[in-house]
Amino acid sequence: MPVEVIMPKVDMDMASGKIMSWHVAVGQPVAKGDPLFDIETDKAAMEVESPADGMLYHPAPEGTEIQIGQPCAWLYAEGEEVGDQPAAFGAAAAEPAPPPEPVAAVEPVRELAFTAEPALEKPRATPRARRLASEAGRDLTSFVGTGPRGRVQADDVLQALAPAPSAGFTAETGPLSITRSKGGEGTPIVLIHGFASDATSWAPLETHLRHRPVIRIDLPSHGKSPKLRIRCFADLVKEVRAAVDDLHLDAAHLVGHSLGGAVALALADTRPRKIASLTLIAPGGLGPEIDGAALTGLCNATRVESLAPWLRRLAADESLITDGYARLAMASRNDPALRHAQAALADVLFPDGTQAFDLRAALDRVDMPTRIIWGKRDAIIPWSHALRAPGKVALHLFDGLGHMPQIEAPDEVGKIIRSLV
Amino acid sequence: MPELPDNVPYAIRTYSPERLRDAFLKMHLIRKFEEGAENSYTRGLIHGTMHLSIGQEASAVGACMSLTDEDKITSTHRGHGHCVAKGADVEKMFAEFFGKETGYCKGRGGSMHIADPSKGNLGANGIVGGGLPIAVGAALSAKRLGTGAVTVCFFGDGANNEGAFHEALNMAAVWKLPVVFVCENNKYGMSTSIERSTAVKRISDRAAAYAMPGVTVDGNDFSAVTEAVDQAVAHARAGEGPGLVETLTYRWRGHSKSDRNRYRTKEEIADWQSRDPIVAMARLLVDHHIVSEDEIAAVEAEATTIIENAIAAASAAPDPKVEEATRDVYTALILDEGTPA
Amino acid sequence: MNAQTETNSRELTYSEAIREAMDIALGNDERVILMGEDIGVYGGAFGVTGDLVEKYGTDRVMDTPISELGGAGVAVGAALTGLRPIFEFQFSDFATLGMEQIVNQAAKLRFMLGGAVSVPVVMRFPAGSGTGAAAQHSQSLEAWTAHVPGLKVVQPSTPEDAKGLLLAALEDPDPVMIYEHKLLYKMKGPVPAGHYTTPIGKAAIRREGRDVSIVATAIMVHKALEAAETLAREGIDAEVIDLRTIRPIDRDTVLASVRKTGRLICVYEGVKTLGVGAEVSAMVAESDAFDFLDAPIVRLGGAECPIPYNPQLEKAVVPQVPDILDAARGLTKGRI
Ligand SMILES: Cc1ncc(C[n+]2csc(CCOP(=O)(O)OP(=O)(O)O)c2C)c(N)n1
Ligand SMILES: [Mg+2]
Repeated sequence: MPVEVIMPKVDMDMASGKIMSWHVAVGQPVAKGDPLFDIETDKAAMEVESPADGMLYHPAPEGTEIQIGQPCAWLYAEGEEVGDQPAAFGAAAAEPAPPPEPVAAVEPVRELAFTAEPALEKPRATPRARRLASEAGRDLTSFVGTGPRGRVQADDVLQALAPAPSAGFTAETGPLSITRSKGGEGTPIVLIHGFASDATSWAPLETHLRHRPVIRIDLPSHGKSPKLRIRCFADLVKEVRAAVDDLHLDAAHLVGHSLGGAVALALADTRPRKIASLTLIAPGGLGPEIDGAALTGLCNATRVESLAPWLRRLAADESLITDGYARLAMASRNDPALRHAQAALADVLFPDGTQAFDLRAALDRVDMPTRIIWGKRDAIIPWSHALRAPGKVALHLFDGLGHMPQIEAPDEVGKIIRSLV
Repeated sequence: MPELPDNVPYAIRTYSPERLRDAFLKMHLIRKFEEGAENSYTRGLIHGTMHLSIGQEASAVGACMSLTDEDKITSTHRGHGHCVAKGADVEKMFAEFFGKETGYCKGRGGSMHIADPSKGNLGANGIVGGGLPIAVGAALSAKRLGTGAVTVCFFGDGANNEGAFHEALNMAAVWKLPVVFVCENNKYGMSTSIERSTAVKRISDRAAAYAMPGVTVDGNDFSAVTEAVDQAVAHARAGEGPGLVETLTYRWRGHSKSDRNRYRTKEEIADWQSRDPIVAMARLLVDHHIVSEDEIAAVEAEATTIIENAIAAASAAPDPKVEEATRDVYTALILDEGTPA
Repeated sequence: MNAQTETNSRELTYSEAIREAMDIALGNDERVILMGEDIGVYGGAFGVTGDLVEKYGTDRVMDTPISELGGAGVAVGAALTGLRPIFEFQFSDFATLGMEQIVNQAAKLRFMLGGAVSVPVVMRFPAGSGTGAAAQHSQSLEAWTAHVPGLKVVQPSTPEDAKGLLLAALEDPDPVMIYEHKLLYKMKGPVPAGHYTTPIGKAAIRREGRDVSIVATAIMVHKALEAAETLAREGIDAEVIDLRTIRPIDRDTVLASVRKTGRLICVYEGVKTLGVGAEVSAMVAESDAFDFLDAPIVRLGGAECPIPYNPQLEKAVVPQVPDILDAARGLTKGRI
C-alpha cells in the first residue's frame, strides 16, 4: 500500500494550502524527513518533509490548492506496483465553506416574560414616545401602549395623533408593484410617479429614455400596489425604500415627480451610495404650500366630469387634457377603495392643504448629481420652492409649463435626463 | 538494594528496574503522544496550536523521578511531557486535546492548559513565566502547612528574561521555600536564541544572584537530570531552600506548527536528533542489564498500543454542552451581571 | 481620502496593510523603530512584520527577549526621548505583563510632568478569539486601556483603516494603542498606496439605515454588516457604525444615528459587562439623544467567562450574526 502524502496544517486558521513545487521528480526516491514539496498558505511559504521513505507518484500539479489533511501525492515502496492514482486530490473548493453557526448563543437576547407587577404610578413609555406626546400637549396616559408590558412606543403616539381614516378601505399588505421596460443597457432608471397618478403616466417620457433599462414603482395605494396604511411620510419612504432595496441594484438613476420627487429625495438621502443621479420634477417637500383643493378634488372625483377640471389644473396648456385623457384617467380611478386610500394618504401627508414634511435639509445633504425640473406655471406646488436648492443642484425652469413637465414637454425633459443618465 | 559502585550511573544505582522501565515507557508515551497529537493536528482534526517537546523527554521524566503525588509541579506551554511524567492518563490528555467533556479541563483548556491536580500537576501555562510565582506559592503552602511536599517548577530558557522569574527566585530564597526551578534550556525562546536574548551564558549562573545552588546538566541524559534534580529536591525537602537546575536539551520540532525554522539550521537540528534521549535511555538500560534488547522493542510497542487506544477512546468521547460554557467561572454560581434587564 | 489616492488603491490583506504602513514609516523617518518578540527573522507570530528586518536590519527591527514589562517600558523611555517606537505585543494577552509601563508611565508622564514631555509611542495588540488558542491567548481587553486617560485606543476593522490609523498613530504625540483582531489579518480590502492617515477619534458609518443603529467594533463590524443585509430583506433598515476609535470615542456620530433611528445595539467581542457597550449606552442615556430612544438599548458582548478551547464553545461565547439578527428584530418589532 502506498503511503499517502497529505497537505499538512501548519497554521492555526489554515483551511488549505497551495502546492508550490515538488523537490523530487515523479518516480524518484525520497527519504523520510527529506524536503518533499513547498507549500504556500495565505500567511507564508513552507517546506514540507517527506512522511516516509519511498518513490514519489501521482503528485498534485504545482499550483493546486489542497485542503488540509487531504492527499496530494503517494509514496510507493521499492518494487511496489504503481497503478492508478489511489484517490482524488483533496482539492479545495474556491470558497471555503463558512464555519457552522453555533447551536445556540450562550446569552441570547431574551424576550422578557410578562410578570405581574404592582400598578405603576407612571405609564411605561419610551423616551421618544414621551417626547412626541409632550410636543402634542397630550398626557401619556391617554395612549394605549402596544410594546412589552404595555410600553407606549412612538408608533402608539403617532397613530393616536394622526388616526388613519379607517372608513372606505381595508388596509392591505404586500410588496409594491414594480414594472420594467424591455431593453436598455447600463445603470437603470427608477421612476416614481406623483400623488393620484401611477406608473403608466411615464409613457410619454419613456420614449426618450430607451437607452437604459427603466423600472417603475407604483406608490402604495396607487396603480397596482397594495393599499397600505401609511401613518406618516417616513412610513411611505420606508415602503418605497424596501421595494428599491429588493431590486438589489448596484446603482440607479432616480427620477421622481411631485410626491414621487419627495420620496426620491428622501431615498437618495438614505441610500447615497446607490443613487447615481437624482432628477426631481416639481418635487414636494421643499416648502409648505400645496394646492389642497386640487388634491381633495382629485381624490374625491367619482366621474369624468368632476375629475377633468382638476386634471386641467395640472398642465399649463389646458388643451393637453383632452376628454379622452380624462376618461382614461377616471377609468384607472374607478375603485372606490383606491380613492379612499389615497384620501387617507393625502390627509396624512398634506393635512389642511399643507406639506407636512420638510426635505430641505436632505436636499442640502445629497451629494450625487441632482437637478430639479419645474414649470413656472405650476398651479399645484409653487415653482419658487426650487429656489431653495443649494448651488450644487441644477435648476431647469420652464416658463410655459405647469405641474407635469414630463407630460407637457417629454422631449425637453427627456433631453435633460439623457444628458446625465 | 545492594550498593553499586560509583562508576555506575546515578539512576541505575538509585532506582529499581521497575521504576526505570516505567520511566522508559513514559518517555515513549510522551513521544508517541506528541506524534499522535501532531498527526491529528496535521489532518485538521484539531483547532488552535500546540507546542511539541519531542527531543526533551529525558528532562521531563528525569526531573519527576523522586516526586510523589503529594509533590507539585508547574509546567509550561510545552507541557505534555511534564504531564505524562507526573503520571497523567494519556486518554484524558487526548480528550482535552480534542476539546472533549471527558478531558482533563473538560474541553475548556486544550493542549496549553492540561493539568491534573490529583497527581500534583498544577498545570501547563499559556503565559511564559506564569508558573514561576505559582510554584513559589505552592512551596509556601507546603512550608506553612508542613506537608513536606516539594514543588518542581518547569520553565524554558525564554522565561528567564521575564520579571516573574527574578521575583520568584528571590522570594523563594528569602523565605527558604521547598521549590526546585528546572529550566529546560532548548536554546531558543521561539525564534530568539539564548545568545540574542540572555546576558549570561548559563542560566544556572543566575542562581548566584539569589543565593541558591545552580547547576547545568545534559538534559538528554536521563541519569544526569535525575541526579541533579533529586539532589535539589532532597535539599529543598530538608528545609534548606530552593535550587536551580538547568537541563540542556533541544526541541526537534518548530516552536509551534507555523514555525518555518528560519532561525536555525538543518545541521543543528540533525545534530541534536542524533542525540535522541530515548535512544540514550535504551542504551543505558541495556548496558546495565535493566531491560533486554527484546524488551526495548516491547516497551515501545506497549506505548504505541496505549496511545492508539487513547486516541480512539478520546475521539469518541462527548463534546461539552454549549449551554454550559460559562460554568466554572466562579466556584458558586453568582448572579449573571450580563443579563439584559 | 482624496480622489487621487483612491485611484492608486490595491487589494491588500489587513496584515499587509499594517506592514506597508510600518515600511513607509521606517523609510520616511529614521526615528521609527520596531520592537517586539520574534518580529525579526520569524516575521512576527502572525507574520505582520514579515521581512522588514531584511530591509531595515536588526538595529531598527529589534527582537526583544520575552520581557513584556521591560520591552514596553524601553519603548516608552525611547519615545520620551526622541525615538518613535512601534512596540508589538505578541498577543494582546501578554500586554497584561506590560500594563505597569502602559498605565502608570506612558499614559501619565505628560500629565504628571505638567505637559513638559510627551510619549509618542505606538503599541500593537493582536487580540480576539476564534483561533482555538484558549483562555490566555484570545482575550479582548481593549476596554482596559481605554479606561485610562492619557492613552488613545483604536480598533481598525479594515485594511485601509489598519494602515491609516497606524500612520496617524505615529504622527500623534500621545501614546496610541492599536488593537488588531487576529481573524482580520487575512481579510483583503482596498488600500490606498503611499502615505495617508485615518483620523483617530472618528467613527465610520459603514451602512446607512433608518430603523436601528448597530454600533460595532473590530470584527463585529463585519458581522453587523452581514446581519444588516439579512435585515434589509425583512424590511429592517439598519445603520452600521464602525467605532474605529474607542478612546476618544466619536460621540457625535453615535448620537446623531440614535436620534435618527431611536434604537441602539452595541456589538463588541470584549466581555459584555463594563465594556465598550456600557460607555456607548451611557453616552446616549446622558445626552439629548435619549429623548429619541424608542426601545431599550441592547448590548451584545462576550459572555461572562474566559474564552473556552472547544471550538463550538469558543464561538458561542462571542456575539455572532444570529444574535445581532435576534436583537434587531426584537427591537424593531417591539418585543424587547
Ligand atoms: C508572557 C508571554 N510572552 C510571550 C509568549 C509567547 N510565547 C509562547 S512560548 C514562547 C517561547 C518561550 O520560550 P521558552 O521559555 O524558552 O520555552 P520553549 O518554547 O523553548 O519551550 C513565547 C515567546 C507567551 N506565551 N507569554
Ligand atoms: Mg526555549
